Amino acid sequence: MLEVRDLEASYGDLRALGGVTLTVGAGEIVALLGPNGAGKSTLLKSIAGLLRPRAGSIRWEGDNLGALGAHQIVERGLALVPEGRRLFGSMTVAENLELGAFAPRARALQAQSLDRVYALFPVLRDRRGQVVRSLSGGQQQMVAVGRALMSAPRLLMLDEPSLGIAPRLVSAIFASLVEINRAGVGVFLVEQNVHAALSLAHRAYVLEGGRIVGEGAAAALLEDPHVRQAYLGPLAVRA
Amino acid sequence: MSAPGARSERRWAVGILAGLGALAFLPLLVRRDDVLNFVFLVLLSITLAQSWNIVAGYAGQVNLGHAAFFGLGALVARTLWIRGTPILLAMIAGAAVATAFALVIGAPAFRLRGAYFAIGTLALGEILRNTVSNVLPEISTLPAASIAGYRLTHRYYLALALAALSVLAVAALAGSRTGLGMQAIREDEEAAEASGVGALRLKLTALALSTGLAGLAGGLFGYYHISYYPAHAFSPTWTFDALLMTFIGGVGTLHGPVLGAVLYIVLKEYLAVQWVDFHLLIFGALFIAIVLLLPGGLVQAAARGRELLARRPRG
Amino acid sequence: MRILAQQLILGLMLGGLYGLAAAGLSLVFGVLKVLNVAHGELIMLGGYAAFFVVALLGLDPFASLLLVLPLSLLLGVVLYAVLFGFVVRAHEETRIKNSLLIGFGLALALHALAVRLWTADERSIITPYGGSVLRVGGLSIPLMRVLILALAFALIGALHLLLTRWRWGKAIRATAEDWEAALLSGIDVRRAYLLAFALGTALAGAAGTLVAIGYSVSPSIGLEWTLKALIVVVLAGLGSMIGTFVGGLVLGAAEALSAYAFGGPYREVVGLAIFVVVLVARPRGLFGR
Repeated sequence: MLEVRDLEASYGDLRALGGVTLTVGAGEIVALLGPNGAGKSTLLKSIAGLLRPRAGSIRWEGDNLGALGAHQIVERGLALVPEGRRLFGSMTVAENLELGAFAPRARALQAQSLDRVYALFPVLRDRRGQVVRSLSGGQQQMVAVGRALMSAPRLLMLDEPSLGIAPRLVSAIFASLVEINRAGVGVFLVEQNVHAALSLAHRAYVLEGGRIVGEGAAAALLEDPHVRQAYLGPLAVRA
Repeated sequence: MSAPGARSERRWAVGILAGLGALAFLPLLVRRDDVLNFVFLVLLSITLAQSWNIVAGYAGQVNLGHAAFFGLGALVARTLWIRGTPILLAMIAGAAVATAFALVIGAPAFRLRGAYFAIGTLALGEILRNTVSNVLPEISTLPAASIAGYRLTHRYYLALALAALSVLAVAALAGSRTGLGMQAIREDEEAAEASGVGALRLKLTALALSTGLAGLAGGLFGYYHISYYPAHAFSPTWTFDALLMTFIGGVGTLHGPVLGAVLYIVLKEYLAVQWVDFHLLIFGALFIAIVLLLPGGLVQAAARGRELLARRPRG
Repeated sequence: MRILAQQLILGLMLGGLYGLAAAGLSLVFGVLKVLNVAHGELIMLGGYAAFFVVALLGLDPFASLLLVLPLSLLLGVVLYAVLFGFVVRAHEETRIKNSLLIGFGLALALHALAVRLWTADERSIITPYGGSVLRVGGLSIPLMRVLILALAFALIGALHLLLTRWRWGKAIRATAEDWEAALLSGIDVRRAYLLAFALGTALAGAAGTLVAIGYSVSPSIGLEWTLKALIVVVLAGLGSMIGTFVGGLVLGAAEALSAYAFGGPYREVVGLAIFVVVLVARPRGLFGR
């Protein structure tokens, strides 16, 4: 259970988040929508520990994450698949996945996690000796998701997983998210492809200008006029 | 630079120049050569430090090949002077050669940023030192007539003039548009470029000024020594000395390098008795402390101290 | 012709040592983005450590590595904890500049300390089998230098294995590539930094030992070796230890060739000149891929 309360964050003098409050319950799929520059990535990075918030609190299963380093947050069961995948390009698929299980708790579960990842993404098993840099965008995204899964998370966060990936692979990845969720892992998804995100999620929040401007059940938001106009209207149609 | 900062710098400039002016009377009061030699060293160091300060403090680049310009100035000036050129002309020629060399390597060198510029200039300096050491390995000694006519006071007054010149140059630079442009580059080069500051031209200007002064200092060095190894003037020790003095005193300020130079030479001469390089151990450690904790050097420390004292009456 | 071949062989053997010297610098620079210009002084200290280990304990010079390596490792841990651990708190560009300055201060302090403790005299480790020479195809190859080259290669090989097989070795490589992604994988990046720095210092110590055995040490060799290491790193680029070793060999060969062509004294200049040219040709620095 993730609880973010009144979170404020800045890049230098630039205020990126101005008081964000949201929750992600155990086993839920929650989407975070909003235009570019709204602060969605900043929010995820703050939760993951890559950014120190200026104010507010982040609680995970009751504990305050504020003082922890990013690697410690991974140990607690929160994993982030960052925007742009950020893989270790010179290393193989297997090595990338192996490194995902570096944290102590994850290390104990490494073998099972690896089996699960290969079951979810069979193409990775075939290419496990291949250097990641030479994979396609979609395959790299699978490695990125797989790497995060190797840390045996209870909450998986993803920052724009569909960016720059062929539609066929996007649906495959989204399908895998459903399966991951079914296994009991919560999903917190930042996604440009609003339609796909809302079809997948139970609930969603809308972030604009560093603040939450809307929230609700995914189905309800699909009908919401503001959302429809801003993100689902004819000009906002995504491939 | 904020207005109060500029005003206090101007006060410092006046103070230092007054001090230098007072020193002009020293040879009349004191006949001892060792005292004059000591003050000469301090004055030479002030010039050296200020010259390095121009590129580091005002244009924000760490030039680790500074000794090359000092050495070129020394080499050219001494060669010309021994052949009969009047010393002032010879020194100016030395500075000109140093500056010319700087401008030739400057444009390609400034394509490097930060640390790469530093190690690149270090390598260049070493190339020069190596070459000179191979081409001119023998010691250079003044002809007997020059030794007989050697006047320490001439060197002394030249050193005084040079030190004053370096302080004036930095003072003029700090207040000028050129100087402000340079400082903008030091703070944030990309932003400065975007707002119309021609970065390369300014950096080259700073380099020219810096190496010209260094060349003059080198010429003075060549004039001062009765005998020396030409390659010695190219030794990286001169660069490192300048770096230490400037950083410890306060890089980018007017009076910092002066303070640093005085402190450095005093400690060096005073501690050299027991342990030749002891001053380097102290300054090395001090330098690290300053980089980590107090980038503004002693000048910043003094400013903080004054702040603390100023707060007391209200507390 | 024979003289050229002779010079080349000797140059290559020295080059192996250049490669080893560069490996430590390359590792630290690649992982921590820290340019430790006191690296040469660490090599110097390693040489003195080996000298005294042999002089006081009577060990075989090559066996002294067994003591110098852990000692250097420890020194690396201390230097990181006390000094460079603070430098890595800044972001990359400030970090490189600060580390350069701090390395400079450290180099001066270590040099002064060495002069005080051991005087400016050169020290060399003398061995009973030191004078042996192998005769191969009309060439005379000092046995010592062969052993040194072999050891340098072995150490680089060991490093390569460490970085590719050891869990923390992979973590170090991951950190070098993308430290934020490494954090997100659960890697304690600060510990990776510490390990990399300690390893780098250990490599410097090993290089110093071999220098003391095959050549000589004095407090002033620091700057010289730092420059050699820098030249090789710029030549070979970052990321491959084997590549760095080869870069060292190339530098050694280049020096030998230039000494043959232009005479001994200009040996040093060719390396420095290559360095400057490569640096300027790649102004984005060593991280631009």
